[in-house]
Amino acid sequence: MSVLETQSVSIRFGGVFANTDVSIKVGEWEIVGVIGPNGAGKTTAFNIVTGFYKPDRGRVLYKGRDITNLAVHERTALGMGRTFQNVGLVKGSTVRENLVSAQYLEADYSTLAGMLGSPRTFVSEAELRKRGDAVAEVMGLGEFLDRQVAGLPYGVLKRVEIATVLATDPDVLLLDEPSSGMGPEEAHDLGDTLLELRREFGLSIAMIEHHVPLVVRVCDYVYCLNFGQLLAEGLPEEVRNHPQVVTAYLGEDAEDPALQKVEEKLETLLDTD
Amino acid sequence: MDRLRERQGQVITAAVITLLVLVLLATGEKESLVIGVITGSAYGFLALGLVLIYKSSGVFNFAQGEFGTVAVYTLYLLHFDVPYGFALLGALGVAVLMGVVVERLVVRPLFDAPRVTLLVATAGVALLSIAVQIWFGEATARPVGRALPTLDRFTVLGVQISDQRLLLLGALAILAGLLAWFFNKTNLGLAILGSSQEPTATELMGISVKRLSTIVWALAALLGGLAGVLAVPETGGFAPGVLTVAFLIPAFTAAVLGGMTSLPGAFLGGVIVGVVEAVATSAPIFEDIPGSPGTLLVFVVLLIVLVARPQGLLGKAG
Amino acid sequence: MAVETASRGPAAETGETVEGGEPSFRPSPIGWLARGIVWAAIAWLVLIFPLGREAFELQRYSEAVIFGIIGLSLNVLLGYVGQISLGHQAFVGIGAFTSAYIVTEQNLSFWVGVAAAVAVGGLQALVLGGVSLRITGLYFALVTLAYGLVAEKNIFQIQELTGGGLGQPAPKPKGFESDFRYYYLCLVFLAIVLWVDWRMMRTKSGRALLALRENPRVASTFGVNVRLLTLFAFVVSGAFAGLGGALLAHNDTRVSPETWSFNLALIFVIMTVVGGLRSRAGVVIGSAFFALIGYLLDKFTILQDGLNAIPGAPDLSPEIARLVIGPVLLLLTLTLTPGGIGQQIRPIVRWLTGHRFDLKDRGLKEVQISDVRA
Repeated sequence: MSVLETQSVSIRFGGVFANTDVSIKVGEWEIVGVIGPNGAGKTTAFNIVTGFYKPDRGRVLYKGRDITNLAVHERTALGMGRTFQNVGLVKGSTVRENLVSAQYLEADYSTLAGMLGSPRTFVSEAELRKRGDAVAEVMGLGEFLDRQVAGLPYGVLKRVEIATVLATDPDVLLLDEPSSGMGPEEAHDLGDTLLELRREFGLSIAMIEHHVPLVVRVCDYVYCLNFGQLLAEGLPEEVRNHPQVVTAYLGEDAEDPALQKVEEKLETLLDTD
Repeated sequence: MDRLRERQGQVITAAVITLLVLVLLATGEKESLVIGVITGSAYGFLALGLVLIYKSSGVFNFAQGEFGTVAVYTLYLLHFDVPYGFALLGALGVAVLMGVVVERLVVRPLFDAPRVTLLVATAGVALLSIAVQIWFGEATARPVGRALPTLDRFTVLGVQISDQRLLLLGALAILAGLLAWFFNKTNLGLAILGSSQEPTATELMGISVKRLSTIVWALAALLGGLAGVLAVPETGGFAPGVLTVAFLIPAFTAAVLGGMTSLPGAFLGGVIVGVVEAVATSAPIFEDIPGSPGTLLVFVVLLIVLVARPQGLLGKAG
Repeated sequence: MAVETASRGPAAETGETVEGGEPSFRPSPIGWLARGIVWAAIAWLVLIFPLGREAFELQRYSEAVIFGIIGLSLNVLLGYVGQISLGHQAFVGIGAFTSAYIVTEQNLSFWVGVAAAVAVGGLQALVLGGVSLRITGLYFALVTLAYGLVAEKNIFQIQELTGGGLGQPAPKPKGFESDFRYYYLCLVFLAIVLWVDWRMMRTKSGRALLALRENPRVASTFGVNVRLLTLFAFVVSGAFAGLGGALLAHNDTRVSPETWSFNLALIFVIMTVVGGLRSRAGVVIGSAFFALIGYLLDKFTILQDGLNAIPGAPDLSPEIARLVIGPVLLLLTLTLTPGGIGQQIRPIVRWLTGHRFDLKDRGLKEVQISDVRA
């Protein structure tokens, strides 16, 4: 059974078809890549999967359950973890504080108990911190724990973001361009990390990625989107050499400016929400 | 699609106005319709200032009402000593001066600050203005002289109306026409409207963005001053902060009805709000509401528009 | 843990450390002694100094303490949620009338009155917040301003609640009839509010609020129900405001409808912003200062004389002084030091809590009012 699945999902913004009949599957223990030119609708697909958009048509399934109408936070509770293209972190806080913040659902006390300061909450808080530190260690971020997020280099931020998502205790990770802002070497290390995460925690991963060597190395299966539609799918090597994919990446009309503009606008809208 | 939604707004507006007038004619005193239109026009002028400033500075100007209060206060102080016309000019001059000073001392230093910071700052300006009025004057209400000393009454279309109010309605209509001409035909007017979308286009016309910001604040202050000197003598006289207390929320509601962007929408919104208030005050069905039913009704209108139709009735569909 | 201690250095510059992490800096015995002396001085000022003061002075001190509670209430909205309320006088005022009504008209005890005021404050915030959840930023400020006006023109005109023009009597509770005891009672309530606020910000809901203010999308991927949490914060703010209102009512022993005007709403906002958003110490100091301006002018006539020396201006009565000084301080704060008093005293607060004294440690530059959501 697939962990995550979209069935013929379509969504339209104004007159722009951002996703049309997109069907993607992520199996257990699988690492799935989603590629495509800018403005192909990849992030839109992620936003539908994680619940930021409701599709006009189609369904989203999680472990066989229809979650199309669930809110973002409810999907997090089910075990869905997601990173953002432009880094989703609390920039005014330290890395450790972010890691503790991310464990919102892991805290085993009620909001009211926390406010009243019941002794139990002090114990729980210490546990959350310890767990956060452990996650940071896994991602090789121990040295940054007390640093404020706002001052860190982009490549580090991307890793911090993955760490915070891991702290939410997910079963499936959705990573939006995890290697952006990284050099080739860092990207290679990231690949190792992802493979290790799967091995250690049994995670399934879906990732939007431009860095082809990384995709080819870690992905079991790849989807290519173009103009909001699936152009090709298959093993990484197959997709990479697929004639239509090559044209899409090389061709002049590869990028849909209208769609790209819509996606960018929606992103800023969501950010300032 | 978009055009359809705009049309829809216009249809709703027309329906609302018709309904209001019918309710008034059927239930209330007919004279309250005149008061509604007059105070509503004042709300409209205040709302025009709010919209202009929102378009150019991106901020809700909570000091907008004080431009009017300061003008009324000046009118009150001057009208004992100088002819009414000069007192009026002096009052408007002081309002404009205040607009320019606020722009220079408060808005410009916070040019790059987040808009909410600027909003808090304008609210601070409003309080300062009220405080200074209490400090230098007294906290009590005073009647302000009217333009015409005599009081004759006419009957127009079955509605009794005093010469004061007839004159006022005429003045309001002329002013509204002048504003429409200014924003549609003159270079400066077009530049002001265009400045929010394309700063560079305005620069090409030889007006710097900063200079234009000063002009907009001066113009908004003038509109606020007009609202004050025209309506307050009719509605009870000067008291510290009178326009902030009694006019600001209705004016904002009017501006929101216009989607915070449309000038005709804001003005028409003002008239609608004015008539709604008049209905609330004179229609018997609202008798049981404690205190001032108008305030409550305007609040309800504001909430409904913001929740159900944030783009306003007459604004561009968004 | 070894890694943590080694990397402690940069944290001192970047903001408050997570509680429980051991700081590498330990004050020397002399350092502790110095801190102890300052703490003792503060305790003396708050606890001992008011002893034996006259009733009208004690009432002003109590008011300062209560304003601290109101400031903290507004700080939850402005500082934590990032929404501005220009109608907070309505929340406080309705709390005041609720408690006075319960005690005077229903003959129930003060404690029931306070509990009801807290509940009504929370409920009010829940309703207003629920209706206007989709309305944010500038528009929310507008809605709250209008709500304040509705409270003034409609709710406070209900005779049964407000007792009409003379206002509603609100006697002090049994056992706390003296202004002196009542002052301590207010202090206890302020301490409770400070504790709740502190624990809230150090546990999951507070962290979620901070994440939410900066980026609601990120908060929701952390599993936070954004709407529910925002409403929850509204309720907390409303409950604090209701408490402040009830205490204020019984401090003056009478509540009258005219007190709760637009001017007061702005004073509340100003004292919170000047105090410094998200700084508990700053907010309490700023609020107390604004409660005491009139009293201070009376006490130190040299200040009053200075103000009266402004040529051409009439004498500035203490009541008006607050309205004039407030906006001026607000505009200076916004343009010069957006972090307010909290930012200025941060080095002292850090030192008092056992950290190194570092004049440059002013917390984040871009914090405070500037990140209220628009």
